[in-house]
Amino acid sequence: MLAELGLPAFCVPEALDGFGLRVDVAASAAAELGAALHASPFAGLTASAHLLAHCAGNPQAEQVLAGVLAGERVCAFGYLGAGDQVARLVDGAPDADALVLLNRARGEFLLLEDPADWTADSRRHGFDLTRGCADVTPAAGRGHLLRPSPEAARRAVDLYELLLAADAVGGVRRMLDRTITYAGQRRTFGKPIGGYQAVQHRLAEHTVRARGMALLVTEAARLLSAEPTAADAARQARRCVATASLSVSSGAPHLLHDLLQLTGAIGFTWEYGLHYYERRAHQDARLAANPRHAQRSLAEVEGWTDGS
Amino acid sequence: MAADLTADTELTAGGPGGAGADVDAYRQRVRAFIAERGLPMDREGVRVPESAAQERQIRDWLRALYEAGYLGAGWPVEWGGQAGHLPVHDLVVMEELIRGDAYRPLDQVMLAAHAVIAFGSDEQKRALLPRIRAGEHIWCQLFSEPGAGSDLAALRTRAEPDAAGETFTVTGQKIWSTDAQWSDMGLLLARTDPTAERHAGITAFVVPMDLPGIDVRPIREMTGHAEFCEVFLDGLQLGRQHVLGEVNGGWKVVTSGLASERAFVGANAIQLERLFQDLVALARTARLPDGTPALAHEDIQAKLAAALTRVEEVRLIVRDTVERILVEAEHPSDGPVAKLAYTETNVALSELALEIIASAVSIDDDGAQVADRWQHNFLWGRALTISGGASEIMRGLIGRQLLGLPRA
Repeated sequence: MLAELGLPAFCVPEALDGFGLRVDVAASAAAELGAALHASPFAGLTASAHLLAHCAGNPQAEQVLAGVLAGERVCAFGYLGAGDQVARLVDGAPDADALVLLNRARGEFLLLEDPADWTADSRRHGFDLTRGCADVTPAAGRGHLLRPSPEAARRAVDLYELLLAADAVGGVRRMLDRTITYAGQRRTFGKPIGGYQAVQHRLAEHTVRARGMALLVTEAARLLSAEPTAADAARQARRCVATASLSVSSGAPHLLHDLLQLTGAIGFTWEYGLHYYERRAHQDARLAANPRHAQRSLAEVEGWTDGS
Repeated sequence: MAADLTADTELTAGGPGGAGADVDAYRQRVRAFIAERGLPMDREGVRVPESAAQERQIRDWLRALYEAGYLGAGWPVEWGGQAGHLPVHDLVVMEELIRGDAYRPLDQVMLAAHAVIAFGSDEQKRALLPRIRAGEHIWCQLFSEPGAGSDLAALRTRAEPDAAGETFTVTGQKIWSTDAQWSDMGLLLARTDPTAERHAGITAFVVPMDLPGIDVRPIREMTGHAEFCEVFLDGLQLGRQHVLGEVNGGWKVVTSGLASERAFVGANAIQLERLFQDLVALARTARLPDGTPALAHEDIQAKLAAALTRVEEVRLIVRDTVERILVEAEHPSDGPVAKLAYTETNVALSELALEIIASAVSIDDDGAQVADRWQHNFLWGRALTISGGASEIMRGLIGRQLLGLPRA
């Protein structure tokens, strides 16, 4: 269904039947999917598609990309562990039929196109109930090494991180709207709970913060869409992705958890469903090892780690 | 497949007002002007001249800004404004004044000019507007009272009309009036009809500050400076010629005036970006007990990174707001959102600065001034979260106007 809407193709060049580099549109889509608690591994799918599209002349990459764009295949994205060659926390791995795994230490991407080439263990990843996640162990000697341009490789990683943030922003907005509506309806001591400053002022604070997060994601998407190749523009884009990711990964879980408090006991129930968003926002952060990863990138890009 | 996505994309391209390159050129001119002639302002919120010579410098600098067309360009052409003026230029000027650490006119005071333009008689305009442009008239606001701050309409200062309604006897107390001790003119709000609904019985007056019956007493604030004043009004006699707008029409004057400088909210973002650079400079020069700079430590970097995300959020919130203001499409809550975000983030930055200073055993010589400024900012920052509508008022406005929640 996602492919019918063209969703995996937002960051695939037009020459390959994609939309170019529409990170802005991808981010909007990610936010909608997050708000809808959609089960697809959209961030990883988009990042993989971008990467595969920049591996010119690699027949396996071309084939997987064609399958993804046609909606026939799902390609997940993840990181190979440094020591044991296990890719932990691969979003969508249980249902994927292709994987792109980044070996950060070597700066290499491994493409696995046959589910027989890996084993997926999802036993430790049941907290987020809306998406499947697994630790993946590739079979020794299987898969194809990809050699994308360094820019495409960097951008795929940025895309992944940013779209996860966008996913959480969508959830925050949906739940914030719902909580505001609820606070205007639920009455206690003769008036709506939203008429008490203790509730109203926190909702106002959250609204400002949520707007800040959403704008950061939009801005980062805009900068990435501009195909920054000049060093300074690329640095600006990286900085903005890190800022957006840090803001959302540290802000969204906290904000959602306070919405639970503001909703009161009904929010604590399974059926009310706020917990799905809390679980998912946590997972969005975790998939990109945030907030710490973004924090460290920001320190680097700002030059604080130079020791000068 | 590629064609259909263009419609909703260019939301932010080209910057505020979309006037891209022209605005950049304008900015360069303003920046050069300020670099060459700007009067420096050492500390945030410290505006009152300490000597006659300094007062002369301030007045000359303000006149230079008006003469160059960097202030007052949006006024009607007959009063010195410029045809083809773009509102975004006002914003650029304010941003560059902040970026260049130059003395800048207070937005609350600039609204006096807007009030005179919008509500003044021709005679009042002739008498007052050229003197503002010449740096001859510095204005202050006589709005807040000991019992009427954020709730301005609660003001109790009386301007009692005589039987003919020709003269008014003013009695009452004003407070928190910035610059009142050296202002030439004051914009006064006083109650002329105590029987009317509280917004409807208020009149605005333009008041020469040297009239008998006005006693200005500076208040020494926690920063050690005396920027705000109490103003006691005892038997002050005003006439028809001092009434701005209509008798009992003062609320309209003040509310339209308050809205007139709303694009300046954007300039605050520049200030935060500059303050953040000061914070990094501080962390570079603050030495921890082991002799290393605070900036070399991951925990400090983490706090700086978190602070930077807040600064960037505010920058974008403000930019978003300004873009809407410039096309006159803003929401009533945009101002409160921007003010709350800016002033509270400002406080958070200063708290982090003080944490860094407190954790350091020494500060390198080149960081001493920065540290000193931060200690001042720490105290001063609360002036911003209280004045011009306290944060609590902003949250209430956001709650009602944006979220549609009932009055708390």
